[in-house]
Amino acid sequence: MTVNNTIAHQRLILSGDRERFKELLRRRLIECGWRDQVRMLCRDVVKENESNNVTFDMLVTRVTPRARALVPDTVKKELLQKIKTHLLTQKDQ
Amino acid sequence: MNDNGCIHLNNFKAAKGIHPYKIVHAFFVSCTSYEARRYKATSCLCFTCGQPGPRMHSCLHCIYFACYAGHIQDHSKSKKHFLYVDLSYGNIFCAQCQDYIYDRELTEIAMSHRLKEAKSLGISVPFMPWLPNNNEALALRRLRKRRLISPHTTIGLRGLQNLGSTCFMNCIVQTLIHTPLLRDYFLGEKHKCKAQSSGKCLVCEVSKLFQEFYSGAKTPLTLHRLLHLIWTHARHLAGYEQQDAHEFFIATLDVLHRHCMNGVEDTEKKENGRCNCIIDQIFTGGLQSDVVCTSCSGVSTTIDPFWDISLDVAGPGSLQACLERFTRAEHLGSAAKIKCSNCRVYRESTKQLTLETLPIVASFHLKRFEHSSQIDRKISAFVSFPAELDMTPFMSSHRRAVDVGATDNNNAPEGVFEDNRYSLFAVVNHLGSLDAGHYTAYVRQMKGSWFKCDDHMITRASLREVLDSEGYLLFYHKTVLEYECDVS
Repeated sequence: MTVNNTIAHQRLILSGDRERFKELLRRRLIECGWRDQVRMLCRDVVKENESNNVTFDMLVTRVTPRARALVPDTVKKELLQKIKTHLLTQKDQ
Repeated sequence: MNDNGCIHLNNFKAAKGIHPYKIVHAFFVSCTSYEARRYKATSCLCFTCGQPGPRMHSCLHCIYFACYAGHIQDHSKSKKHFLYVDLSYGNIFCAQCQDYIYDRELTEIAMSHRLKEAKSLGISVPFMPWLPNNNEALALRRLRKRRLISPHTTIGLRGLQNLGSTCFMNCIVQTLIHTPLLRDYFLGEKHKCKAQSSGKCLVCEVSKLFQEFYSGAKTPLTLHRLLHLIWTHARHLAGYEQQDAHEFFIATLDVLHRHCMNGVEDTEKKENGRCNCIIDQIFTGGLQSDVVCTSCSGVSTTIDPFWDISLDVAGPGSLQACLERFTRAEHLGSAAKIKCSNCRVYRESTKQLTLETLPIVASFHLKRFEHSSQIDRKISAFVSFPAELDMTPFMSSHRRAVDVGATDNNNAPEGVFEDNRYSLFAVVNHLGSLDAGHYTAYVRQMKGSWFKCDDHMITRASLREVLDSEGYLLFYHKTVLEYECDVS
């Protein structure tokens, strides 16, 4: 992270907008069914490894790549565009 | 996995209590105040490598921040501090158990902090699913009868007998019964009648009606008691002739609203000057009227409550176009001068209507019946309406931003996070001519599942069929609900 990035990041936390964007993302991922899909992926991993002790770390390693690929482009685009415009309008103030 | 934590966490709690978790959570996971956000913004960096991630954790023993890429583990090993908190989600990792662990008490703290955080940011509280308490769990175990809701289920659907041109009532009742939030209210038995004389409360009658619709029986219902109650309380609708469904809808809401208030203390009635009965919570919005003096540009603003929006249908071909015209600034002309409070004389002015607050159910009335001294006629012009409608362009805040040319305002945080999307859930149609007509209704039973209600007959319908229908009354429900909570 560069200094500029860090400042932008800190400003987002300070203003509470980071949480607002997170909430927006969370909503969109629920609406489009992504959360349910990821839940199914996790269930599959647990089922495959029924004999072993499934840990959180293992679940994260196995599910993350597939879960990331499942995020719809529309959601990514919306968030990217909104964060971008938001940061650009902030700068002028 | 249970929520009793693990022996290591329990030992820690016995020695140090819940305070360390509470502090870490309120300042670095869910910031409950501006001050907390300032701490989080400046100090959430790995003490070892200075990076903001990946997956920052805080040691619960000494509040040492470190990333999950190895540094928190190093700290844990060298100091023998085995418990650390994930700073993104607030979960506790136990290095001795080698996994995240759950503890009911700490989960409750986390939940209350999340509510405080939402309040401090002025955003909607996250949806929390219903969890049965001990009594409710017992009741569920005792009552073994279950109903399976499948995509083919027809529960909640019942025909209504026509009592002699009462189709106007039937289609409004079908609409109310299929209003999602109203259904939840009544099936949750939220109406506690405070009226002195039972049998005279329309709200109780509707409550019973919901039970009838969801009883599983399939025979058509007869609504004579409901009709009688409305006749008694809205005298202008009494009699056996055909009535206007729109007029009946408004009259029904009015009687329901009045009966909700029966026996309620005056002090409980209003919240911020607004009635908080279920009818007003669901159906009431605020219509803003701005009158601008053409001479001094002084604005006089009034906000009036509304239950529905009546739209002219001559001209525009779509609901959005009707709304666009409804919210356009209109020049009042020299024949309709208004006294300007600034100039203190009568001036020409422009008037603009916009939506200041949106109701949960947005009801649109397409003015298809024209009554004038010369002629009474029905306008059958086609007006298309969408299954999903975004109301943002018709909001007062949005219109103001567009008018002053400050398009940037749309990107202000409120604009970005505001969600004004609505979904169609009922359409009332008038078939035939002015004097020999019939009303039917399309209702959405579940997402994507539509039915046509023609008095006692209920038939499956497609969305296409619904959208191609003429449309007289259109009912939209807010797609995403916002939640409020009371936290101190």
